[in-house]
Amino acid sequence: MKLAVISCIHGNAEALDAVLADIDTQRAEEIYCLGDLVGYGPYPNEVVEKIRSLAIPSCQGCWDEDIVDGLNACECSYPSQLAEYRGRLAHEWTDREIHPEVREYLATLPLTLKKDNLCFVHGSPNSQHEYLLPSMDGFAALERVLSADADVLFCGHTHVPYERKLENAALSVKVGTAESGDRAQQLQEQQFQVPLKRVINAGSVGEPRHGRPNATYVIYNTDTAEVTFREVTYNYEKTCQAIVEKGLPPIFAWRLAKGMEFAERADDPSHVCER
Amino acid sequence: MNITLVAGPPGIGKTTWINQFLSTSKQPLFYLCPAAGTEAVDRLRVGYHFPEVTVVEDTQAAALLMNLPDQAQIYIELGFHLDLAALPFNQLPCRKVAIVPPELAQLTEQSEWHDWADELVAGNKIQVPHPNCFPETRRMPLTGQVFDPPSLDELLTEITGGAYGQVIRLKGIFEMPDGQAFDIDFVEGLPGIEYTELKLPRSLKGRPTRPSSLEVVGYDFQQKTMAEALGVSCLSDELIAQYQRQYRQQYKTTDLTNNAEENVA
Amino acid sequence: MKWAILSGIEGNLTAYEAVLKDLRQLRQPVTELYILGDVIGLSGNNLKNNNLQDDSLQNDNEAVIRRLRHPGVGQLKPQVCVGWWEEQCFSLHGLSGLPDAPELMAAVGGDGVKALWDSVSRKSVQWLRSQHFGFYELDCLLIHGSMASYADELTPETPAIELCDRLIRADANHLFCGRSGRTFECWVNPNQLHSTVTTLDGPQPTQDQSKTPRRIVGVGSVGRTPGQATYTLYSPGSNQLSFRTVNYGQAKKGKAKGFGFP
Repeated sequence: MKLAVISCIHGNAEALDAVLADIDTQRAEEIYCLGDLVGYGPYPNEVVEKIRSLAIPSCQGCWDEDIVDGLNACECSYPSQLAEYRGRLAHEWTDREIHPEVREYLATLPLTLKKDNLCFVHGSPNSQHEYLLPSMDGFAALERVLSADADVLFCGHTHVPYERKLENAALSVKVGTAESGDRAQQLQEQQFQVPLKRVINAGSVGEPRHGRPNATYVIYNTDTAEVTFREVTYNYEKTCQAIVEKGLPPIFAWRLAKGMEFAERADDPSHVCER
Repeated sequence: MNITLVAGPPGIGKTTWINQFLSTSKQPLFYLCPAAGTEAVDRLRVGYHFPEVTVVEDTQAAALLMNLPDQAQIYIELGFHLDLAALPFNQLPCRKVAIVPPELAQLTEQSEWHDWADELVAGNKIQVPHPNCFPETRRMPLTGQVFDPPSLDELLTEITGGAYGQVIRLKGIFEMPDGQAFDIDFVEGLPGIEYTELKLPRSLKGRPTRPSSLEVVGYDFQQKTMAEALGVSCLSDELIAQYQRQYRQQYKTTDLTNNAEENVA
Repeated sequence: MKWAILSGIEGNLTAYEAVLKDLRQLRQPVTELYILGDVIGLSGNNLKNNNLQDDSLQNDNEAVIRRLRHPGVGQLKPQVCVGWWEEQCFSLHGLSGLPDAPELMAAVGGDGVKALWDSVSRKSVQWLRSQHFGFYELDCLLIHGSMASYADELTPETPAIELCDRLIRADANHLFCGRSGRTFECWVNPNQLHSTVTTLDGPQPTQDQSKTPRRIVGVGSVGRTPGQATYTLYSPGSNQLSFRTVNYGQAKKGKAKGFGFP
């Protein structure tokens, strides 16, 4: 069976429509969404209404969380002071525009979705704010998949799609048995082997950061485990125009057109905010 | 006394060409950048990179030129906005060097520089602005400002990418929270943005007092939006103090303090 | 160079004094004294003594902090980082993101919360707040929980991949931690993993992500178990590790009223 996994729509209704049309052509039977329905883009209500009306199961993203709980992401979620300032402008704008029932719906979104051996999260199983970058240490990435109790972990949040196969993992632990006494003795070794696990990042529908303005998402075939990246062109200029007309900072339009929209990224991607 | 006048389009490499002599000469060295203002980035850069060179203010130039020692070497960098035919320096006994793109470095070519220069030097391979489409220069004084490094990175990518108007040249001196300053340089058509760390003492006691500024050359600037984004990328007094405390400590110990943790995050 | 690494005094001054005495008796003197958090807690004589009019029942949290701040002439000055109990205290005093210390409430209930509140002065809280988050020394990270959280309780039973993750986050060869209160030594050897990333540009070369073995050390607990303190000695030069157990007599009156954290 083919699944379509979409993420990080960010109020870009134009891009969402184009992606939904593309999913039809791919004959995907189910769609999963990894959150960040709102924020930055000009049509937060429309995007949420669309996801709701199509009954697409969705996780809660960090932007959705902020609209529900108030802006409580710590400054560490942002790559820079400038991005933080602009993020705040985007949050405040979205917070003003959002309809009460949309806010209520966002509050009901779960942090994690499961289907058989697949797990869907926004950032990582640890946090909506954690970035699972493709460059992350392989064992650390493996730990995230295992902590989700899954074989395939779908995530978004970085706005750049990728698939990562983690194969032939083996690690051993030697435990010193000395609970007391003068020195650790009698080290016993235990071996662990982990079968193939995958991390699949679904990219971003509404706010790509791969250097082109096109929307990205992935198709996953549950029978063959085949992953297909989809890059969908759409009329991004219309979104850019709406960004400016609706009073969002024009720099968002410029960055969207360049495919370099801010994905907020901490210096230390594994940093988990405790706020 | 030995005077060299250097002219050429923006981004061609005038300062770079002059620098090679500033770093090797054993004679007393003087550098002028007429009608550029005291906070001109070129002037600041020469001062910072070559402390042994005397950077001459416009107001002192006349008096100085009269009283120079015989062995003095004087380099005068002429901004592209100056009319070469009407320069007062033209009367002086001097060597006139024009730096032009490699394809124009033939004396048979035609241009303002060819009419004026004694000597043509091949510089960067760049597009020379059309005489009818003269670029504007915007200078933003930054003295006392300390930048959030990742914000500055983002912003420079935006500025040079054309988010605030078309930029053909960007140069600036920027202060960093670790007390160091960078010389940053971009030329349209050449790859990347060049960062050079200045060999200056770390400024870790309050806002730095040494001058810094940014210059952009290009067309159709939205200066207000650009200045606003620059402002947002600068650190507050409080943050500067926090960073400076942290960096002062870091040079003493490698401990990870509560404070450092917050700042790093 | 020889380090003594302690954790979990938990307000038990008697236990801390017993460890200091043990340190003085070592043949090779200790050059650095690290305390990985939980200097305060409810394992000492932290009774609500204001009304008891009994000077012999001293407030041990304050006494321990005083002892740490003023080690005395010729004694090692301890280097302290914050632990779980300190974080609870910051939460109670509104100094962290999370107010009202729900973790503390869940662990020790309302009486325990009140006891902790009553036994640490605002001034001492400020001092604790100024202590370290952890220490990077040579190729070691010394910290209360882990880089994941101050509450991270690592033990030999923790899943191997999680131990491995904590060592990666530590970015060190040896991770010394104190949350579990146990003394243990665990070598983790991530000996094989092939990672292949595919991006929009196609498959990237497969990478072998194996690493050399690294170690997690549980440093024990000074004050949690009445009558028995454990701590760790480590010589970075020779990479020699040993655990010490110190048995000491109970303090006179009603020691360890049972608020010991599990």
